[in-house]
Amino acid sequence: MNILVLVKQVPDPEALVEIAASSKGLNIEPRFAVNLFDEFALEEALRIREKQGGKVKAISLGGPKAIEALRTAIAMGADEAVLIEDETLAASDGYNVALALSKAIEKETFDIVLAGRQAIDADRGEVPQMVAQFLGLPHVGVVVKLDISDGKALAESSLEGAKEVVEVALPAVFTAQKGLNEPRVPLITGVMKAMKVQIPKVAVEDLGLAKDMVAPENSKTKIVGYLPPKKRPAVQLIPGEAREAAAEAARILIDVERVI
Amino acid sequence: MDKVLVFVETKGDEPRKASLELLCEAEKLAASGRFSVEAVCFGAMSDALKGKLLASARKLVRFTDPELAVYSPEGYARALAGYAAETGARMVLAGATGTGRDFLPRVAVMLGTGMVSDVTGANWFDDPMTFVRPMFGGKVFAEVAAPASPVVVTARPNSFAMDIPEGINGEYEERAAGSLADAIHTRVVRVEETKGDAVDLTEADLIVAGGRGLKAAENFRLIEDLAAAIGGTVGATRSVVDAKWRDQADQIGKSGKTVSPKLYIGAGISGAIHHIMGMDTSKVVLVVNRDPNAIIFNYANYGIVGDLFEVLPAMTEEIGKRKGRG
Repeated sequence: MNILVLVKQVPDPEALVEIAASSKGLNIEPRFAVNLFDEFALEEALRIREKQGGKVKAISLGGPKAIEALRTAIAMGADEAVLIEDETLAASDGYNVALALSKAIEKETFDIVLAGRQAIDADRGEVPQMVAQFLGLPHVGVVVKLDISDGKALAESSLEGAKEVVEVALPAVFTAQKGLNEPRVPLITGVMKAMKVQIPKVAVEDLGLAKDMVAPENSKTKIVGYLPPKKRPAVQLIPGEAREAAAEAARILIDVERVI
Repeated sequence: MDKVLVFVETKGDEPRKASLELLCEAEKLAASGRFSVEAVCFGAMSDALKGKLLASARKLVRFTDPELAVYSPEGYARALAGYAAETGARMVLAGATGTGRDFLPRVAVMLGTGMVSDVTGANWFDDPMTFVRPMFGGKVFAEVAAPASPVVVTARPNSFAMDIPEGINGEYEERAAGSLADAIHTRVVRVEETKGDAVDLTEADLIVAGGRGLKAAENFRLIEDLAAAIGGTVGATRSVVDAKWRDQADQIGKSGKTVSPKLYIGAGISGAIHHIMGMDTSKVVLVVNRDPNAIIFNYANYGIVGDLFEVLPAMTEEIGKRKGRG
């Protein structure tokens, strides 16, 4: 079983994210992590390999720093990794990112593509499905259980709360949801190996794409500015004993806010 | 006139709320005279459902292909993208529900265009159109321009007002996409309804959520009682889901669901950032916590510093009395 895992390096969930003075960019505290949902994808790939043999290869697209996410993948147990190194492309839209990833995937021999259901920075949740479409492959989204046998997958998806069991012949794309597994913590030996390993880098030109084709100004959608979240007014504390406060809260919700 | 297709999801005799909100928004576009709007539905449709949709959309197109009776990303994408291409649609809209977010990216690629996912606001009349969408779990919002055509958009539930238009009696058309069987490579083996008919959290107007402060799984009864009293849906934090007190489907937050209800009541929740990210777009937030320094008070409109074991039952009783009278 050859498994490709799409891994994105994202700012640490606790990293400070602020809008730049011009409102055209973001100032993000430079603390990075492997996207939470991609860790589930990686773990599942490793478990499938442990049961069925084969190879796990992690693919990332990002700036030079993204190599760290791939080192984490190797430390967890991935056999190989490759970085499509292009900072501009990484900041592009889902369509361009998926196009480049699909070109890289086309060069591989694989049975399964696994990816997180969403990256926790851009929160688009578009890329894996787009990759599947570019490759002409089926996908099953938001997977919480995955059984592979006889060239087929039985995937349990929790797309709308209700669980659906979907059968699909391989090759296919799956997006990992929390609940799929508990990602392992890399062993020290894995970390040592990951520090030494040479991770190849490719440029978009190597994938047969024109450099300017994926430039932000040629993106089909583009971010033109950033806005802060709506600021909530300071909290209004409701005083009194439990009973009193509860009655006042009920009055506020019914008569003032009129939400119930 | 530019054509707008609104993909409408249905459940039984009801359109899904996220779809209906988009139809209401799209009707404003139609009323401007610059856009013509069509609601697009797949699968079976009762007369009751048809009646409801024809009262909200000027045109309703239902695809009758038997392959569309059950959701498949490839089948749905093929049918919707095919129709958008055939009619030269300027926009394809869908609710940012699990289903909408799952297959619209395929639609975008089929149409050779980009998409804007999970938008909470739109400037339909700008050129190019721009949309507002949350990033980083709502820490910031991006303004996204969509210069390519068509524009494929999914909209977060509870983002557009449900102003049901009056006096609409739409026309109805049935079509077949054709040759879908070969396009679909997934097969649904079985479906386990875990939530029955309860409103999905992401679409709920009223949510009562509980955290570690409940102390034990059985104490969620207090949350359930208050939710029942207001007609709301129960939510939970990651820690109580991890402790198996509640199902994963109830989890609000970064690794769970993002909710934007009219009212969010949180009890026994400290306010970890990953939970805040899932609920910060709620309109009115009321929280109950014993600890006056709990972070969640920073994200609330109203706060009660007190023991939830006393406050919640008292609220349930008070609201029951008020609503019973009302």
